[in-house]
Amino acid sequence: MSDGGANKRAPGKTALGIVGLALFLCAWQVIGHFRLAGLTWPPFTEVIALLADPDRWPMLGRALYATVAAMAAGYLLGTALGLGAAVGAHLFPIARPGTDRLAAVVNSIPSIALGPVFIVFLSRESTAVAIAAAHAAFIIYVSAGSGLAAASRGHRDLLTVLGASRLMRLRHLDLPASLPALATGLKLAVPAALIGTIIGEWFGAPRGLGVLIVNAMQNFQIPLLWSVVVLIAATSLALYSALTLLERACYARFT
Amino acid sequence: MNAISRVSVGVVRNGWGILLLLVAWQAWVVAMDFNSIVMPRPLGVLRDLMDAPDVYWKNAIYTIAAAVAGLVLGMALGTGLAVVAWLSAVLEGLLTPLTVLFSSVPVVTIIPIVARLLGYDFSTVLAIVVIICFFPAFVFTTSGLRALPAGSDDLFRVLGARTAARLLRLALPAAVPNWTVALRVAAGHAVLGAMVAEYLMGTAGLGFLFAETKADFNMERAFGATVVAIVVSILFFVSALAVERWVKERWN
Repeated sequence: MSDGGANKRAPGKTALGIVGLALFLCAWQVIGHFRLAGLTWPPFTEVIALLADPDRWPMLGRALYATVAAMAAGYLLGTALGLGAAVGAHLFPIARPGTDRLAAVVNSIPSIALGPVFIVFLSRESTAVAIAAAHAAFIIYVSAGSGLAAASRGHRDLLTVLGASRLMRLRHLDLPASLPALATGLKLAVPAALIGTIIGEWFGAPRGLGVLIVNAMQNFQIPLLWSVVVLIAATSLALYSALTLLERACYARFT
Repeated sequence: MNAISRVSVGVVRNGWGILLLLVAWQAWVVAMDFNSIVMPRPLGVLRDLMDAPDVYWKNAIYTIAAAVAGLVLGMALGTGLAVVAWLSAVLEGLLTPLTVLFSSVPVVTIIPIVARLLGYDFSTVLAIVVIICFFPAFVFTTSGLRALPAGSDDLFRVLGARTAARLLRLALPAAVPNWTVALRVAAGHAVLGAMVAEYLMGTAGLGFLFAETKADFNMERAFGATVVAIVVSILFFVSALAVERWVKERWN
């Protein structure tokens, strides 16, 4: 799962990668410019022009803020839940099969089917938060669970022999040892939480990027539709990259 | 008697989390005294499932067909492109940043774009599932083709193996465990992708049934659609998991 090996990339590869990206954008531009895919594929420059238009910023900014706020709340809640469940299952191994099954079942529920349940239990506003939390919690539970089991047997025996209690062992050995795996989970949970937020917003949130997407799709505002998707992708990528740095730091320090 | 108690202990041990969830749901509905328009009771949902199996069947088969066909095509496309990229260093260099980019982007959000491009019908649902399954297939297969046992590639080269032999006898077998992980990830995404597409576009399928009945406040059927969707998802997940376990046993 770690991409540590990709560090040693030759300069030629970087150049090829840039060429690949440039080709992709050129193809996008050409298809849009000559209407090769019909009216619903705008040229790249048109999408960028819309995003760069200051008149649009208040609208896009409000939606972006609402989505990121909901996602952050869901991400933190999901992380707390997932980590709590993983630590609980670690301290009380007898509970583990039950939590594993529950996590697997909840994760295999298509989140589009969770929406109405949350709308009834919670409110329209918090549905996005709840779905984001459900997505993040599973990934954190799995990664924290494997991380907590990562400490070596020798270390564990040593602490036991020295008379450490379960909690002390958790604090001084298992939790630090779980950090690299947990950091990978935190990274992977970002796009998952963002997807959860967008899907949750499709259930009738008052504002957010997901609401803008659906409105733009139904009202045939094609450049706006693409712009919002690009904005979501850029947001996801920025957060993902930031957490990749955190992951690298964790691997460097704790392995 | 002993066997029965052993089975029930096993059920509680493995299923206490799920049981707790169901009990909490039931308690919540009773405590809040919801009527069936807001929140149906589990028994009402069950009765609707028994009463109108045809509706559920027709839509479930539509969704399953889209998910299976999209999964197969997406996996084939992703695996094929990964092999081509393995053969050509230039192509790999061109594609790697793009796939890293796309795999860290929430793919579900491009569903409205695809829907606008291809129109509101079955081919769109299929295309969306193909796209969603493509990325894990490509990413995992690519890394699997490189996860060779230490020194084995040098050995093949020293012994004068051709590229085709290195691919067929070394890289592809080495990639199989990773490939099954991709299958498991993609299988889950396939059902979700198909359902979201149906929900947004409203043609047929479980997502459509769900959207339509929810709009009519027929909550029992909407929840029935949810239950069927959950069963379908779990079947997909369990089948992919079985393939993964089987491969793991055979390969080690």
